[in-house]
Amino acid sequence: MRKATVFNIVLILVLIPATLFLGTKLTGRWYYLTSTLMVIEIMIPFFLAFETRRPQARELVTLAVMCALAVASRVVVMIPNFKPMTAIIMITGIAFGPEAGFITGAVGAFASNFFFSQGPWTPWQMMAYGLGGFLAGVIFFRRPGTRNPVLLAVYGFVSIVLFVGPLLDCCTLFTVSNHLSWKYAAAVFGAGFTYNLQHGLACGVTMLLFSKPLLSKLDRLKGKYGMMDARKEHQQCLEKASKKWKKFRNNA
Amino acid sequence: MKDDAFSKCHPLTNFLFFLGAIGFCAVIQHPIYLLLDAVGAGGYYLLLKGKKGWSLIAGLIPVFFLLSGINPLLNTYGATALFHVFGRPYTLEALLYGMVIAGMLVVMLLWFGCYSAVLTSDKFVCLFGGLIPSLSLLLVMILRMIPSLTRKAVQIADARKSVGKGTGASENKKGKVLGGMRILSALTDWALEGSIITADSMRARGYGCAKRSSFRIYRFALRDILLICLMVVFLLGTLLAGGTEASFTPELRIASPSWGLASYAAFLMLPLILHGIEVIQQRTSLARL
Repeated sequence: MRKATVFNIVLILVLIPATLFLGTKLTGRWYYLTSTLMVIEIMIPFFLAFETRRPQARELVTLAVMCALAVASRVVVMIPNFKPMTAIIMITGIAFGPEAGFITGAVGAFASNFFFSQGPWTPWQMMAYGLGGFLAGVIFFRRPGTRNPVLLAVYGFVSIVLFVGPLLDCCTLFTVSNHLSWKYAAAVFGAGFTYNLQHGLACGVTMLLFSKPLLSKLDRLKGKYGMMDARKEHQQCLEKASKKWKKFRNNA
Repeated sequence: MKDDAFSKCHPLTNFLFFLGAIGFCAVIQHPIYLLLDAVGAGGYYLLLKGKKGWSLIAGLIPVFFLLSGINPLLNTYGATALFHVFGRPYTLEALLYGMVIAGMLVVMLLWFGCYSAVLTSDKFVCLFGGLIPSLSLLLVMILRMIPSLTRKAVQIADARKSVGKGTGASENKKGKVLGGMRILSALTDWALEGSIITADSMRARGYGCAKRSSFRIYRFALRDILLICLMVVFLLGTLLAGGTEASFTPELRIASPSWGLASYAAFLMLPLILHGIEVIQQRTSLARL
């Protein structure tokens, strides 16, 4: 555990600035390599945290199911360009926490590319989907009051159009462009906008229809089998209750 | 062709080769080096895929022309104006630059195509299984589950069809989406139930008690050491010899290639050379019979 922390500190304080520095110093077309290295370096702490925690078998298999479900969901709805994948990743993050959301998104994107093709886009997809799941987890995890399908649908749509989609477009920008100028960036983001809109709509619709049943299923799984820190949560609840009870007794 | 000589090498050798090839391809923008790169990547891709490989190459050609044509529209630097579009100069330098950028993308996609064919998921897990055991186990499970879940989804859809739901073209978009969500919901139940059984079975067999071992059919042989050394020497040669600089806008400046070109060519052709050696060996051993 301590080794991992040291590594993370070195990564953040030394490796990432070094990559940025080298990227600005070298002449020629280094955008793609520098940016992709950055993306990989940013992802490493997440993976390291997951790996050093030594996840239990139940957690591991459940995450695998969620990843596979996200990838396989493409075949379920027979409408072209309707991909519920991101919605499922976000729901996983909401139910199991930010870290689970990140792992589902990143590993899911990597695994799906074994069936299509790995490409220059692989690290970017991993990062975009992973952070999409992570962010959803940060905002909605352990906040039962916010689990309104309409709210989630709006969130899904907005986060894809403003965050996940542009991150994916960044890959296109860095691969294709030569001079990084605002004009070029506007052209690439503009070209990607309609696609992101479609993607966001698919995510929103899936959230609206599917978030409630899926979340209740995942919560049930968590509670019944004591997974993903459910036991710890339960204990914390008990401790809180006993504290309250003691306070109440002392006052009385 | 599935088993060419280079695919049979140790995964580490394969991985390092693609790392070098893709990394250098993303950086060197000298047209002659790029042309060589295209020959190496295209040749190896065709060797791996056979006749089917032409379809990707045929698909990449329009991408190449489209991208190289677009660049001068956005980038008007350059001395030699060919003609004017909407009052903006369409310059030769920018066109050449666009061709190089598009070429780099095409070559990179070809290398990634080769990578996907050579470095299959089992090789990836063999490489990284020791370093990231949980994540690679996760990956293996996902790769197994995707086809099985897809099959299950089809089964559920078929079962729905047999009671007259979600059939045919009469359904509109809303019906399709609702039906899809129903299928997804049923699929989730099925998959999650299976996941608990799998996890309990894993625990019963002692998952987490000791270090996981993974099956290894790849041997790190003398050949791999030799290949890795050769790769390093060739790439260092390319770097040290220089002559890879080229800038296009505002004015064309392309360095004349040095002997590093030969070194780079040797690196790129390694898989093809290995294949050639194997074919010759096979022929001679057959002739001896």
